[in-house]
Amino acid sequence: MESEEFEAGGVADEMTLQIEDGRDWDHVCQDLRAMVSADAFQRWFGTARWMGVEDGIGSLAVPGEIHQVWIETNYLPELTMAVSQTYEEVREVRVLVCDSLAVAGTPSNSFFSRQQQRPTKSAMLEGEALERRTKSAGLNTSCTFDRFVVGANSQFAHAACEAVAKKSGLGYNPLFIYGGPGLGKTHLMQAIGHELLRCQPGTRVIYLTCEKFTNEFIDAVRRGDIEKFRRRYRSSDVLLIDDVQFLGGKERSQEEFFHTFNTLLDGRNQVVLTCDRPASEIKNLEPRLVSRFECGLTVEMQPPEMETRMAILKKKSMEWKVRVDESILHFLAEKIRTNVRRLEGALMRVATYASLAGESVSVEKIEHLLRDLLREEASRQVTIDDIQKAVAEHYDLRLADMTSRRRPASVAFPRQVAMFLSRTLTKGSLMEIGEAFGGRDHGTVIHACKKITGKINDEPGLKDAISRIESQLRR
Amino acid sequence: MKAETNPQHHSGLPSMKFRISKEAFLDGLQKVQHVVSSRTTLPILSNVLLVAKDGRLQFTTTDLDVGITGSVEAQIEKEGATTLPAKRLVSIIRELPASEVDVSVDGKNHASIRCGPSFFKIIGLGEAEFPPLPDFEGAKIFKIPQATLRDGLKKTSYAISTDETRYVLNGIFTSFRDGKMTLVATDGRRLAMVDADLEFPASHETDVIIPTKAVQELQRLLGDAGEVIVKLSDSQISFTVGDSLLASKLIEGNYPNYRQVIPGDSNERVVISREALLETVRRVSLLSSDKSNSVKLVFSENHIEVTANSPDVGEAQESMDVIYQGPPMQIAFNPEFLQAPLRALDTDDIYIDLIDEMSPGVLRIEGTFLYVLMPMRVTN
Repeated sequence: MESEEFEAGGVADEMTLQIEDGRDWDHVCQDLRAMVSADAFQRWFGTARWMGVEDGIGSLAVPGEIHQVWIETNYLPELTMAVSQTYEEVREVRVLVCDSLAVAGTPSNSFFSRQQQRPTKSAMLEGEALERRTKSAGLNTSCTFDRFVVGANSQFAHAACEAVAKKSGLGYNPLFIYGGPGLGKTHLMQAIGHELLRCQPGTRVIYLTCEKFTNEFIDAVRRGDIEKFRRRYRSSDVLLIDDVQFLGGKERSQEEFFHTFNTLLDGRNQVVLTCDRPASEIKNLEPRLVSRFECGLTVEMQPPEMETRMAILKKKSMEWKVRVDESILHFLAEKIRTNVRRLEGALMRVATYASLAGESVSVEKIEHLLRDLLREEASRQVTIDDIQKAVAEHYDLRLADMTSRRRPASVAFPRQVAMFLSRTLTKGSLMEIGEAFGGRDHGTVIHACKKITGKINDEPGLKDAISRIESQLRR
Repeated sequence: MKAETNPQHHSGLPSMKFRISKEAFLDGLQKVQHVVSSRTTLPILSNVLLVAKDGRLQFTTTDLDVGITGSVEAQIEKEGATTLPAKRLVSIIRELPASEVDVSVDGKNHASIRCGPSFFKIIGLGEAEFPPLPDFEGAKIFKIPQATLRDGLKKTSYAISTDETRYVLNGIFTSFRDGKMTLVATDGRRLAMVDADLEFPASHETDVIIPTKAVQELQRLLGDAGEVIVKLSDSQISFTVGDSLLASKLIEGNYPNYRQVIPGDSNERVVISREALLETVRRVSLLSSDKSNSVKLVFSENHIEVTANSPDVGEAQESMDVIYQGPPMQIAFNPEFLQAPLRALDTDDIYIDLIDEMSPGVLRIEGTFLYVLMPMRVTN
């Protein structure tokens, strides 16, 4: 009906290009006309627009749902045959509803991105298309692999994510990333989405937080269009869900999630999840979900160590094009240990301050500037009390055993571990530590530290135990 | 009260007590039992709410999408309410010998059912948990003759789509516009539409989609005489017939522009006796193959030949006298889709308007009914 009008709207170019390509929709139409009645052709295909081929799947945009329903139920064999006579690689044709075809005008942008394989298409257009795909997938444009600083703390997680991005659907499914806040779980997860959209533009990537998933589910239940909700999520090729710990205690969402999850896994579609704790520690999560979460690859992200923190700060200051003195970067990296997001925030504040003040900034000034942040960071530092609790829990002792005079090996050894951890994780002096362990003197603490340091390298079990307690304390 | 001889432990006075004839009890239950939820997540939804009040026993069931309530006369000895497992209750009452049934419910919602020598005790749930039916305050009200609505639903409901991925088609599109009520159902291969004149204020003009389940319940509810009162709010619809009430959620979303489907001027019209065609198609379709599942109509002057064949089984052929003046042509249809409207209609003759063998046929009657049917591909 309004065919001339939308051809005028920037589509003409593409038409010409397709003809240059030697394959065009007109050709398909000729074949199609021979297979359906003249009336049916005019009625159902007259207003349709060809959207090109991607991964063997051709797309046809139609102006209304009725066109979609009728073509899909009655003319799909003819359409597919006609298309495949012109486009040999096409295995399947999808009919999509495109509202803007009904109201004459330029075709919907989202369909643009489906048109690939146009040799003269400029890089700029390609970039735009990628950006659009990225946005519709719900991804943050800055979370890509090349912006991620890899350290020993995140090496494994990074490698796993890259592997997933390279061959989606194989091996690590689901990929379950866990770790404390601000360590880059979301960044890595979104990077997978970006990489896939960049390399395989046809992939349907959906990123959302678990909270959004739950809310949408509740909305869908309330509105009664649960089918639409299911179709949306169960048809994704890659589903990225952030902060799955929010599922805890939400029974019906868990149920729905379980089925979505199974559908995707059965269809060999990739699922990536992040969480602030291991799956088994999510409260009120059905055991069958826990085991599903654990059936793929689970990777942990640790807080970065000093070198990585420095590297992050340097990379960020380059990205933001700010010059900050090495000593100040060092000061920040030293003080802010547990959270990369906070580290970046601090750098931003320092940079802003420096550009406003115009004077050279000293470490003292920075300390004053960031006092609230540093105080909070300090308060998040581990205390001897925390260590005693964690160690007692780990070795299944009473907290009182930490400070008691009793000295059987079953008690004395864990106590020494606790002293060692107190020495390495807190700023307490030998005296203070000894005092906290039932008024022992500093010599006892030194002895404990020496003993554990010695054993740590000989006994792999001990090393594991200590690093587990440590990571628990840092959470 | 005299000492009872039943093997029942007394747990205080009954909180509800009534006597009712078995037939009335079963009748009341059967009117509401189809709505009972199959979802197991909320046990209360598999129960029927019983309310004994003012000499009547009221039954209510809901699955949260559709709710239905009705009542029958009963001798109420103590007014009260409880909920009991619907399926179980129906199977018990159905098996009772035809006579009076005594029911008493204690404070813990344990119901004792006595009928002659039989005694049953079933455990129910408190009525407070039972979800209330929606409120229709401020709703638009339509009054429709029951026969009109029933007729309209009968002529369209068989064409409703069962494909859940196209949820907007899982119901009857009901439009109140231009002094008419229009009902439409389609599944992508056929479309049925009925128009009926109806008086309502212009401010009431609206379109809604009534879900399949509500349509089925409504068809059970509607009779030949009297009016049904329809209340419409933004997302809900209710139908009141006598003291029965059916409430349902509406399907949200926009119904596709179905008018696009209706063909323009036809070339040829054939007039056929409805019953004769129905019988012929039914007989001939016995030999249509599972694979093609079609019957072929071969037209010649005032004559059609209905044929079917399946390669490994055999073939069937039957000829009919019709009124047809056009050129010879043939067209194939799915026999079930061709029979469905013929069963739902009640006129003597029907018209089929045809364009060519690849275009949809349109079945009409003397009246405001229309059925668009896509032809099958004929493989020679």
